Amino acid sequence: MNQALLARSAAGLYWMSRYLTRVEHLSRLLYLQTEALSDRPVRDIHFGWTRIYHALGREPPWGVLDQIEDDDYLLADSFTLVGDLTFEETNPSSIRACFGLGRDNARQMRQHISAAMWTQLNLAFLGIRDLTIEAVWRLNPEGFFADTEAMIHKFWGVTAATMYRGDGWRFIQLGNLVERIQLISALLLAQSSALAEADEGTDADWISLLRQFHARAAYNQRFGVQIAADRVLSLLVSDPQLPGSLLGSLLYAQTHFHNLGTGPDAKATDAAGETISSLTQSLAGGWVTRENEREQLLGINAAGRELHDRINLAFFDYALEDAPRA
Amino acid sequence: MDFDRYELSSSVFDEMVRQDGRPRAQWRELHAMLGGLDAADLVTIQEEVNRSFATEGITFTVYGDAEADERIIPVDCIPRLLPHADWEFLDRGLRQRLAAINRFLGDVYGEGRIVKDGIVPSEMVLSCPQYRPQMRGYRPPQGTWVAVCGTDLVRTNEGFFVLEDNLRVPSGVSYMIANRKAAKSALRREFRLHRVREVEHYGAVLRTTLCELAPGGKSDPTLAVLTPGIYNSAFYEHMFLAGEIGAMLVEGRDLLVDDGFVYARTTRGLRRIDVIYRRVDDDFLDPTVFRPDSLLGVPGLIHACRLGNVTLANAPGTGLADDKSVYAYVPEMIRYYLDEKPILANADTFLCRREEDLAYTLQNLDKLVVKRVGESGGYGMLVGPHATAEERKAYAEGIKANPADFISQPALAISRAPCLIDGNLEARHVDLRPFVLRGASTRIVPGAFCRVALRRGSLVVNSSQGGGCKDLWVLDE
Repeated sequence: MNQALLARSAAGLYWMSRYLTRVEHLSRLLYLQTEALSDRPVRDIHFGWTRIYHALGREPPWGVLDQIEDDDYLLADSFTLVGDLTFEETNPSSIRACFGLGRDNARQMRQHISAAMWTQLNLAFLGIRDLTIEAVWRLNPEGFFADTEAMIHKFWGVTAATMYRGDGWRFIQLGNLVERIQLISALLLAQSSALAEADEGTDADWISLLRQFHARAAYNQRFGVQIAADRVLSLLVSDPQLPGSLLGSLLYAQTHFHNLGTGPDAKATDAAGETISSLTQSLAGGWVTRENEREQLLGINAAGRELHDRINLAFFDYALEDAPRA
Repeated sequence: MDFDRYELSSSVFDEMVRQDGRPRAQWRELHAMLGGLDAADLVTIQEEVNRSFATEGITFTVYGDAEADERIIPVDCIPRLLPHADWEFLDRGLRQRLAAINRFLGDVYGEGRIVKDGIVPSEMVLSCPQYRPQMRGYRPPQGTWVAVCGTDLVRTNEGFFVLEDNLRVPSGVSYMIANRKAAKSALRREFRLHRVREVEHYGAVLRTTLCELAPGGKSDPTLAVLTPGIYNSAFYEHMFLAGEIGAMLVEGRDLLVDDGFVYARTTRGLRRIDVIYRRVDDDFLDPTVFRPDSLLGVPGLIHACRLGNVTLANAPGTGLADDKSVYAYVPEMIRYYLDEKPILANADTFLCRREEDLAYTLQNLDKLVVKRVGESGGYGMLVGPHATAEERKAYAEGIKANPADFISQPALAISRAPCLIDGNLEARHVDLRPFVLRGASTRIVPGAFCRVALRRGSLVVNSSQGGGCKDLWVLDE
């Protein structure tokens, strides 16, 4: 008999996926930012930090980011910011905190994931658990972030290769989708805000955004080497052939959501399905215009939150009175 | 590898070598193998075993130690060997013991014959904190109160002794299996040569046992393992066992009782649960019956259990029989219920509730191990020979204040086995905890959680007190 998945276990898998997606995203952001420290102009570095902190909805440790021209101060500030986002114990969104939470969820749900997934995740976490920012900074910070991102990629690869395609797998895909909607829309909104603060945007601002999603090559294939903001947004938001794009993620997850069937709260399940459908339809229509960019992004971000709430209500935290019994 | 630092003592049984320094029969090959290895080789084997535990995430927590979150249990790579005949003896003794204990529990929560007949004093039963009057009249499926028992045994020059029967939520079986996997991989050749009996089917045996206890003999029942959660010291084991027996790993908040039935909240709705292998103490099982402040339990669970709609394994109230005062009466129970002579011996036990035993205990504290009757896991214990005069004095005050809370036993000369300590072979005290399962019949997997007091001279083997473990190889005939 097919064993039912405990609602808390499903939520655990969903959250494991969300936290690890977060680690992947932040590691990539910090990889690009630390890489930039070696040769990019001060303005680009300042732009990068502004974008990261806006995207995370977090204030830097000293409150306001100022553009610093002195190289030594610039590096010292960057050291503090990297530490804040990577190992700071009071920061619940740091890489280590999210990694730990993702791994804690996996640890509780080990009977639902493959042994290979657990081993990969556990070893990866043990590898960074006791590191300090001083040690990372002294050696090769961009290498550290590249490795961390690669460890998560490997985890997704092991997951794809070894996990049974049951409901647990589907909740992992949904967690990944909801997190991506939030992260991408927040980053694009942050790009918009950081550009508004900067005197003028540069190609580098958009190229780094493409690189965040490993989409530089895809962009060149589709549009050529000439950088245009509309095209970058179009690719990242509404090109279904880019796996990490918003539309690509939605189309991928739509199938998994439908395969889950109706949750104990049928109304909430239908509502979650409607959110996915309407978001998919609106993005499939293409990226409309830069004029209402913020409005659209805010709408996408809100849809992501709404989708989370509806999934939660449909499958994890449903009312017990009307729930089916077996 | 030389054995220069391997100490022998005439008063302590050594598992590997005899008093004349020659290896015991079952140890000959392993002894020769150890002698032929470089220290570096053995350290490499040990590292492989450690890595296997770390990779698997086999951890436990020492309560009260802020730094000890998710500690890897110390594991020694050299197995302890037990010949077939020894195991057969233990197997018979353990079956006998558990049969008597189950009869005792059924009796005490039922007619109370053993009390009426004056074999066990009623005040000892009624004053025991683990006695649960709420379970009076309850009749568990198959008459099985204790489905899983982990009995702690030690060996001395005089033979095996039972130190305690863990009847509530005995832990350690996952380490038995993890130790086996690690030892098998690290000592492939030796494992094959020794014809070691398997233990890795424990999960299947446990599943069969629990299924036999399903309400109304239901076939293919839905099983759950009830855990206090990820911060419990034995969480790894709960997770491991749930996976092995195909059960949901649930916390109290995942369950609810409706109309006398227990349900789990799943992504398909509410799913009825038939058997709960609970790893939560009685006190926390049901806030409407036991501790009202419990957040770990399920309101109404005991009611559902008493209605016979769900089976709790072990049944609530079994802790009565592993109270350290009641333990002293197990040989009497065997005689009373089974009309047999006890196969396994108890350690001599002095009940401080008796005036003469109290006087003896206070006069001989430096020679005795004193334990609180309701404690387990090595907590609240005084090892007299290793305690300072001040510690003994302070402990004596506690005994005098509440004599009934204490028992004492002679400090047994517990056997020692070889361990790898800082690159050298050294002898350390060991015990063993086999797991006895009882559903419709009694089953024992031939192996045990073998604990080691890794600190030199220490007799405390509890993992919660910094002890370690090693694999136990029960050898085939």
